[in-house]
This record gives sequence, structure tokens and C-alpha cells, in this order.
Amino acid sequence: MSHKTAHAESPVPSRAVPLERLVVMANQIADFFSPYPPARRAEGIRNHLRTYWDPRMRQDLTEYIAAGGEGVSPAIVEGVRLLGSGPDPKGYYGPPKA
Amino acid sequence: MANPIIPDKSVVTTCAYCGVGCGFKAETHQGRLVRMTPWKEGKANHGHSCIKGRFAFDYYISDDRVTTPLIRASIDDPWTLVSWEKAIQHAASELRRVQAKYGTKSVGAISSSRCTNEEIFLVQKFARAVLGNNNIDNCARICHSPTQFGLSATVGWGAASQHFDSILQADVIMIVGANPTEGHPVFGSLMKRRVRQGAKLIVIDPRRTETVESAHIKADVHLSLRPGTNVAVLDSIAHVIVREKLYNEAFVRARCEWDEFERWTEFVSSDRYAPEVIGPTAGLDPELIRKAARLYASGPNSAIYYGLGVTEHSQGSTGVMCLGNLSLACGMLGREGVGVNPLRGQGNVQGGSCLGSWPHVFSGYRFVTDDEVRGSFEKDWGVTLDAEPGLRLPNMFDAALAGNFRGMFIMGEDPVQSDPNQNHIIEAMRQMECVVIQDLFLNETSKYAHVFLPGSSSLEKDGTFTSAERRVNRVRKVVEPLAGYQDWEIVVMLMNAMGYLATYDHAGQILDEIARLSPAYKGISFELLERIGSAQWPCDEAAPEGTEVLHREKFPRANGRGTFMLTEYVPTAERTNDTFPLLLTTGRILTQYNVGTQTRRTQNNRWHSEDVLEISAHDAHIRGIRDGERVKVSSRFGCTELKAKFSERVGSGIVYTTFHHAETRINVVTSDLSDWATNCPEYKVTAVEVVKVASEQTAKRAAKKKREHVVTA
Repeated sequence: MSHKTAHAESPVPSRAVPLERLVVMANQIADFFSPYPPARRAEGIRNHLRTYWDPRMRQDLTEYIAAGGEGVSPAIVEGVRLLGSGPDPKGYYGPPKA
Repeated sequence: MANPIIPDKSVVTTCAYCGVGCGFKAETHQGRLVRMTPWKEGKANHGHSCIKGRFAFDYYISDDRVTTPLIRASIDDPWTLVSWEKAIQHAASELRRVQAKYGTKSVGAISSSRCTNEEIFLVQKFARAVLGNNNIDNCARICHSPTQFGLSATVGWGAASQHFDSILQADVIMIVGANPTEGHPVFGSLMKRRVRQGAKLIVIDPRRTETVESAHIKADVHLSLRPGTNVAVLDSIAHVIVREKLYNEAFVRARCEWDEFERWTEFVSSDRYAPEVIGPTAGLDPELIRKAARLYASGPNSAIYYGLGVTEHSQGSTGVMCLGNLSLACGMLGREGVGVNPLRGQGNVQGGSCLGSWPHVFSGYRFVTDDEVRGSFEKDWGVTLDAEPGLRLPNMFDAALAGNFRGMFIMGEDPVQSDPNQNHIIEAMRQMECVVIQDLFLNETSKYAHVFLPGSSSLEKDGTFTSAERRVNRVRKVVEPLAGYQDWEIVVMLMNAMGYLATYDHAGQILDEIARLSPAYKGISFELLERIGSAQWPCDEAAPEGTEVLHREKFPRANGRGTFMLTEYVPTAERTNDTFPLLLTTGRILTQYNVGTQTRRTQNNRWHSEDVLEISAHDAHIRGIRDGERVKVSSRFGCTELKAKFSERVGSGIVYTTFHHAETRINVVTSDLSDWATNCPEYKVTAVEVVKVASEQTAKRAAKKKREHVVTA
């Protein structure tokens, strides 16, 4: 996954979903997982982004976070960090795994 | 001359309106449908029917039916009538041109719950195997996608746990955000029958619907909550159940993940979910929340039925999980008379969900990211498939505006009318270079289309529908397709024109492919359905004639156990304020069906010829609005005009309307907020203001608009 900050000085161009909307969607996901302890919360977010989001949306969010990530919930930052390294890359339903 | 009302032929088929899936004998006279007679052997309806299925069938011979393919270079051009061959070749070459110019992922497909399982399966195959991406979605995105998410998370399968007849053994019936007497009338009557026999009824709904009180029935508890507070109220019910230890510990220990249950009890027993705290937030008497909780937990058989009032919220998926949690905690699963059951709005929306018309899962809700599952499809279809989730319907529109989405194949859907924030969608549609629509009629969306392929109604084709009770019913061809082809045949032609060899002699062969690739449908075939009439999935070696009640011994999860999700209440971002002080919520009426494509073209239209705004007399009086006057409804997103109707069904602060008529354009008003997990739109909560349309001039304009509509309709 690219962590280049080529777009750091200007907003990252949107590939699929406008960034503003992407951030709203991501933060809604963070709100849902907020009652879980930090490690499970991050894993729940990772699993959700991995299995439900088009890769372009994940990439836009990842690059936006790398470029500062203004307005993105800290829980999302933790979840995005786990992308590509989770316990079950194919995805699962149910509570986030411990 | 032969008597035209005496049929010369009768074919048993399945109604294509709501998700109940009533069996009918479709009776024809000299090749024309003259009567739909409810079929006594139909396992969902036992000889009953509603006024849609029984009478609203003339749409199929409406003068508006398009029977010749149409193409045009630009949406500003008039349509040109062309041959099937030319239309298919044009659609194929244009979709390929767009892909060559903007990339493989710049196009997608939408299937419809008005289509058969076979057609839905074929459209997702078309997207994945022919277009080469997972940009495939279906209309459940905007209704029950949270059901799939929320029930999969807790009980394992996103489908009703029961068969409809199970309600006759329920002692307590909890209806949440649904109005079966209007939306699912035949099931509504069954429910009323059980209530008359003495079952207790809990209704959770902002409106005082017919389900709350009508002839011979009255709810024991009606929680008329403020729109948008479902999760708070359901968590509060759980709070009471946990604090008062009303849960079924033996069931949870034997059947569920105990650790997750403990976490959940700790979570919901927090003081912040006490009825005294949630009551004022939701506009409810705390004692009523307690009463509902005690009644539900007391059973002995309590059954939950819910509708779009649960799902169409920014916390839709969370709301469904709340229902899964409650039924598990109280042991209300795995036998007759209990369960958690989505009331599906469209005839085949369960089929749409089951059969992989989703950007993230194949049939059977199995992830596209799962190598083993994907491998089974690759082997059968002979192509390499995309291992990443595709775009969801609302994200396709977003991507169109971002410049990365330029072509669509839409079968049987009208997103411009049915999807929220209409202006945003129209803007996105205008960006497309190739929109191919397969439908019966030109509609709001076809205004932005380049190819129109005339489809077939459910009376003109063979296949199956899967109803809300997981029942796979046969759809049989009653009359010949008016435009010459069954819908699945058109998709097959398009697949071949785009270079993918597809050969099916009849729809049953597509069902065989579904059975081969989807474990829950493994035993289902035309032969089985001919023999036993219908079958509820899962249907396999263990259950060769299907399964009426799910979860009898274990849950379809890896460890076989049900589980609990933590369901924090997060208020929607859509709030009332001084400018938009009322909450608008939308729904359906008995005589009409969804966007009205079919029912508006029948005599049923006389019962409900326009959408009206239900408003409480109090809210109307302080705005100087009289009953029957035209009003303007405005939100942060747009405004429209319609007629006000005083109603005691809505409380002060809430207004309600239906979305059956295109000219109402109510989805210009609805917000673009959506469910956190699935992007299912939040149709049920929009902050609005309502003002009287005073000037005579405006009234004249409205009258003129209406006259014009009558002329063109």
C-alpha cells in the first residue's frame, strides 16, 4: 500500500467517493466500533474496510491520513494501519476478533 | 364468441409485488390475462390475496409498454427504434468503449428485486465475469442491506428465521418499523388473526398505523418513538431485560458466545440506557419501555417482525443487530412461534440478497475476498474474477461525479425516482456515457439512458422468486413476452455480444448453476418445485425439501453459536432546528407499490391517485394550513409540493408521505445520509419545514402540471 504524500499540499484527488463523504463514512464506522476496547475496535474497522470498501476508497482514505488526515477519527487511523495485516484477510461477520 | 371472462387456460405462478410471495392462478382467455385467482395451495397465502396481487395486473398491457429496443447517441436526442441485434451490439460496443477509455472499473450493473432469481444471478455474473469487476448492486441496497449485515453479525444469516405460519404459535408479536397491514397485507391479516386469538402485540413505530389499532385489534404497547431513536429504545428494552434478569440464561449458555453476551449485558445495563434517560430522548413514557421489555421477554413465544423503519436509518444495521441481540438473549429463536424476521418489500428482494447481487459477496453472502469461494466461481465460469469489493450503488453515483464511473447496465430499477437526494443522482447520471436500461416502461432514469432494452413482466417469463420467508416459488410464463424475449434471454444476448459465451436453453439451467455454486440452494431445481410446489432454503441433503425454521440446533456461524454486538446509540446528523423543525418520514400504502411503475398503470390508482402529506392538525394550524391545501415541503436538500392531509396517525412534530408518484418528487427532499455499514439511505428521517402554498398562481400551476401528467400518463 502506498503511503506517498505526493498530494500532501493539495487535497487528495478523489478516485471514487469525494473525500468529504469518505471521511463522514469512515467516522460513522468508528462510532459504531467505539464501545469495543482499542485493539478490537481497530480490528473491527480493518475488517469492515477490507471487506466492504472498494480498494480505491481505502487507498484514498489511507493517503488522506498519510497527508494529515484532518477530521478523521483516531480509531480509523488505527484501523487503517492494520489494513493488509489483519488476522483474517477474507473477512468475517460478527464481533471484531480480539 | 367465447365468453371473455371464462378463462381457457390457468397457470400457477407467484405474485411479484411484496415479499409475501402469494401463489396465484393466472387465468387467460385467448392469450390475454383476465383474472388472478389466489391459489389455495400457496404456502404463503393459503388462498388469500391483497388488492395489488388480485387486481393490479393490467400494467402489463399498458399502452406505455415499450416493445421495441431504443438507442440514442446523447440523452438530449430523441430515441431511435432499432432491431434487437442492433441494440445489443450497440450496448455491448459502448460498454466496451467506456471501459477502454476509463478503465475496467468504470462501469457497473444494477439488478432488481422485480426480476427472478435466475435473472439476478445472471446480472451479477454479467458484472463479475463479463465486465470484469464487482460493481454490482441491487435495490436491497436502499431497503434491507442492513438486514444482511446486522443478522449475519448476530445469528449468522441475513434472512427471516421463520416461515409465515409460525406466527400462529406466537404469544407475543413485536412489530418494529413496519406496517404489515399496508405493506404486506396477507401476512398482516395472518398477524391480526393471531392477535384476535389473544397474542399480545407490541408496535414500535412513530406513526399510529393500522397495525397499532384497526378493526378487532389493538396493540398492548405502542412505542411511538421519535424517528431516528430506534437503537436508543431497543437498547433501553435490552437494559430492562438485563437489569431485571429477564433473559434466558440456559439458552445463551447452550447456544451463544457467553463472553460476548457478558460484554453486551455490561454495555446495555449502563445507566445511559435506562428508560428514564432514553424515554425523554425518544419522546416515550419510560414505563412503556419497561412494559414492552417485560412483555417481550415473558413470551413464552415472542416473535419479532420488522421493516424499513428499522433499516432505513444512519444506524440501520445497528438497529437490526439490536433485534438479533434481543432474540438471542431471550432465547426466542430455533422453534416455531419465535424468531426475528425482516418483512421484505419486494417480491424477490430476499432472492436479490441471497444470490450475490452485491459488490462484496457472492451468492450465500460469501465474501469476494475469500479465495476458496471465488475460486469455485472462477472454475465454473472459466474466468479470473476481481478479488476486491466493488462500488455500491450510491458510491457509483459518487464515482461518476468524481470522473471515474461512466457506464451502467440497469435492469428493472429506477434509481432517479427511488433513491435519495435526487438532484445529486441526476447530476451523476448526466456524467454517464453509456447507460443501458432494461425495463417495461420509460421511467425517470431512462431520461438519462442511451440504450433501452424492452424487458418482460413477471407474467411473461419463467424462473423463481425467493420470498421474505426464504421460500423459493416458481414464476411461470403466463403470456408471451410482449417485446419478444424473457429478461434472462436479453442478458444472455448481451453477455455473448460482449464476448462471453453463455448458453442456457431455459431458466431452469440457470437455477441449476445457482444450486451448483450456492450451498443454501443446493437442492433446489425446477424439478423439485414442480414436485413439491415450493421450498424454503436451506435446501440440501440434510433438508431435501427445505427448512421452515432456522437455527433449531445451531447458528450458521463458524462455531455454530449466536453472538452479541455492542450497539451504541449514535444520534443521526440530520437534526431539526428552527428552519427545519419537523421530521419527515416516508412509507407505502396498501393499493400502490413502491415507485408505482406498475400499480399507477392500473385501476388501483383510483384509490390513491396522488401522494399526500400527513400532518397533525396541531402542526397544520400553527402554520395556517387547512386540510387538503397544497403545501411546500423543504429540507436542506430540496423542496417539493403536495397536498396536506390532516392525520391522527402522526404526532406533533412528524409528517409523513408516500413515494408512489413520480411527480411528487419526494426524494428531492430526502437526505443523503446513510447507514454506517451499508450506505442504505436514511429515508425515515429528514428535517423539513412545511408552508402553505398560498398564491392562486401557484395553485393554477399545480393544476396545469396535474392535467399534463394525466395527458401523458
